[in-house]
Amino acid sequence: MLNPLSSSQWNYAMAAHLLNRAGFGGSPADIEKLADLDHDQAVSSLLDYENIYDPTPNPVWATPDPDRLTKLRADIKAATPADAKQLQQQENRMQAEHLNELRGWWFNRMANGPRPFQEKMVLFWHGHFATSIEKVRGTPNSTYLMWRQNELFRRLATDNWLRLLIETGKDPAMLIYLDQALSQKEHPNENFAREVMELFSLGEGHYTEHDITEAARALTGWSYDRLNQKFIYRPGIHDDGTKTVLGLTGNLEGEDFLAQIVKQPQAARFITAKLWNYFSGQFPSDELNTALAEVFRYNGNDFKPFLRVMFRCEEFYGDDIVRNEVKSPVQWLVGSARMLESELPPPFICNAITTSLGQTLFAPPSVKGWDGGTAWITTNTLLDRYNDAVTLVMGTAQQLTASDFALKQGGAGGQKLARLAQRIQVGGVKVEKILTPEERADKDSIVASLQHRLFQTVLDTSQQEALREFLDSKQQLSDADILTTIRLMMSTPEYQVT
Amino acid sequence: MKNEITLQTRREFLRTTVLGSALSWTVPAFLADTFAALQGEAADSSTQIVTGKDATILVVLQMAGGNDGLNTVVPYSNDFYHNARPKIGLSADKILKLNDDIAFHGAMGGFKNLYDSGNLAVVQGVGYPNPNRSHFRSTEIWQTASDSDKIEKYGWLGRYFDNACNGADPAVGVVIGNQLPESFFAAQPKGICFDNPQNYRFMANNAATEESYKKLNELEMSSPLPDGGPAMTSDDNANSGSSIGMLPAGMPMQGGRAIDFITRTALDAQQSSDEVRNIAARVQNQATYPVSPLGNSLKLVAKLIGGGLPTRIYYVSQGGYDTHSNQLGTQNRLLQDLGDSMKSFVEDMKAQGNMQRVLVMTFSEFGRRVNENANGGTDHGAAGPMFIVGNKVKAGLLGRYPSLAPQDLFQGDIKYNVDFRSVYASVLESWLKTKSAPILGKQFDPLQIV
Repeated sequence: MLNPLSSSQWNYAMAAHLLNRAGFGGSPADIEKLADLDHDQAVSSLLDYENIYDPTPNPVWATPDPDRLTKLRADIKAATPADAKQLQQQENRMQAEHLNELRGWWFNRMANGPRPFQEKMVLFWHGHFATSIEKVRGTPNSTYLMWRQNELFRRLATDNWLRLLIETGKDPAMLIYLDQALSQKEHPNENFAREVMELFSLGEGHYTEHDITEAARALTGWSYDRLNQKFIYRPGIHDDGTKTVLGLTGNLEGEDFLAQIVKQPQAARFITAKLWNYFSGQFPSDELNTALAEVFRYNGNDFKPFLRVMFRCEEFYGDDIVRNEVKSPVQWLVGSARMLESELPPPFICNAITTSLGQTLFAPPSVKGWDGGTAWITTNTLLDRYNDAVTLVMGTAQQLTASDFALKQGGAGGQKLARLAQRIQVGGVKVEKILTPEERADKDSIVASLQHRLFQTVLDTSQQEALREFLDSKQQLSDADILTTIRLMMSTPEYQVT
Repeated sequence: MKNEITLQTRREFLRTTVLGSALSWTVPAFLADTFAALQGEAADSSTQIVTGKDATILVVLQMAGGNDGLNTVVPYSNDFYHNARPKIGLSADKILKLNDDIAFHGAMGGFKNLYDSGNLAVVQGVGYPNPNRSHFRSTEIWQTASDSDKIEKYGWLGRYFDNACNGADPAVGVVIGNQLPESFFAAQPKGICFDNPQNYRFMANNAATEESYKKLNELEMSSPLPDGGPAMTSDDNANSGSSIGMLPAGMPMQGGRAIDFITRTALDAQQSSDEVRNIAARVQNQATYPVSPLGNSLKLVAKLIGGGLPTRIYYVSQGGYDTHSNQLGTQNRLLQDLGDSMKSFVEDMKAQGNMQRVLVMTFSEFGRRVNENANGGTDHGAAGPMFIVGNKVKAGLLGRYPSLAPQDLFQGDIKYNVDFRSVYASVLESWLKTKSAPILGKQFDPLQIV
């Protein structure tokens, strides 16, 4: 198991597969560049991203701001009730604008940044350690907290399992999201203690209810400093009695509990199975999972060497894996932009699109993250994919309605955004960028070239005929007709898989 | 006998009505079933005919996150209750009394109203043996009606579709939202999903584009199949054969190709979108609903019922019940929304003249811990109440309120008195008029609800 793919099997199709999965795909030129490398070099060109300079600046507001918050609080206190309400509303509006910027900042890193693999890992950790602004919003400077967590995932994207668990456990957004910030020795809050075992590290059935109540005791004292917007340990609310968690007894602290988790062989099985599923689209067999977990433990629970083995192994390039994964909404959006060499729409439209398809960045539906796979596809989201293709390709957002923008806030603001979206041009595909004049002049070449770019495989004969018929129905092929052809290709079951 | 038939298009296939009943897996389940029904081969007595005009309808309402039952149906005269909840226990001015012991949360005026008019049954202390306190596992148990130590592949509503809705079109189950709940997972997946009927269509700028879209999304009956072609024999049946035909809706892929799942969904979408959109545009609501996601969902369900969509099961949900901290405000807002939305829905159904046909059933994955925590919240618990709304319900308080005495608790949680599957059994037998044992795996004593 886990033997490297033989060099004779490494080709354009496999390079496309690697780029789709370990990144967000690319143009035919991007794929050719990768295919020209050895398999080993190709994997390394994605995984060893530390060697690539990423010039993306941080958002200007991405910093703790105790002075501003202290002043705001004093101003609110001193104001009349009506003025106080207005101040608070102003603050909320600013946080909402920052959140919009934050989404754009991340979409841009995924779609245009030089380190697609690192961003793909950040997306993995965001879905894994799922934390939602919907709850964090109640805490001052909430957008900064979401950014900070996102940066944590970027910094530790391929780092060490225990370090990730500890730093995520102490991350302000997580402390708030799973109520750890509020927990104290009298009646400890069990939320984080439970979910860290059930969803983050071991899985249901690998711990007892008693482990949860004991772990919750060990974790007391982990708290949040609201003024300085960082983790703080408060000895006064820590339970320093003896606890027993997962077989370990003593005056345990939060770190001891998380270290005890990582000592369980199940912790390696759990996270390697989840990574395999995220990147391959399938659940590993027991045998494969055992092999994956072994590699991971052998490498001291570090992710980078494990992932290198994963992207090198022949199992990853099997028939059951290649072109058999449903694109996530983010992959669909970002991957389309990379593939079509087009600009992303403005952040609020990107967000409306992925939201309508079932994935809102910084607002996963629950602490379990997104189910993924075929759960992305319902009659509703499939038609939305077909329609959202118009926005990406034509650069008009006319099919987006107020409800797509209203998100979860019951309708407020949706109308305004929808009207705005209908007025602006939002990127769109440039025909001259993706078809040479020679290809453009011949209808068969148009279908062949677009098919190669969008699917890296051939469509069913009847589908090719349908596309050819569409082109034939046009007297003189305008750019709009070609863009409609691309939109139609994206409105197929085939485009939804990668 | 075995006929080898190769069809070029779905329309051609639809015109060919002389087919045998056994269809290969590339044919969507509902089409296979429709042909089976046309041939009279599925005229099993348990098969339900859905016309959209007269059949009974079940609306399932999920209260996601684990609703605190003790502060919903409140044992207000019980000292154990007030002792366990010094901060969040509800005092006499924050409740709506039903009798000397039990009251509704004060925000549930809508429910009180339905209770007084005989349209609401409250099933007390509902749960299951060996309760699980994980949101996800406990939700799965409720959705699949499994024992807590068993994993079931399919949902209880999915098994209802499989057992009793042969020949129905995909709209026999409708989910308002954009994810199919696990209760819909089925051997022969049925059910459509949408939250905004306005967008529930392929938007084309002209007829040629629309025509091309249809062709691109047709079943590829001309492609070679694993067994060499669609073998149509009359002694097979539609759900035999390849594992791909067994792929449950929305379930993570376990073998089979993702593309087959998507192709079938594409066809279901094409089939249902015109009708849904027309109904939503044509039918007017006859009640005013709260402006909330739940209010909007029930508003849409009311329209679809009024428009005669051939649906037996509607599924809506309301989230936010995971109140580990500052529970009072959150739960107040949610229960207010729930009661008001439900009251509007009932008014709408009555105005439509459809109230006789509709039953609403709520559930939540668990109740919460009897003792409050230090953050004005409650942690995950066990049993809780269910609400059943309808014209023909056995209105009032059903079952017994579980004891709150410390010696009667298990790990700080109340014990259940009614297995939720007894409620499902009653809904299936008395309301949907089908046998419950094949769907629930065994015979549960139906609680008399209807």
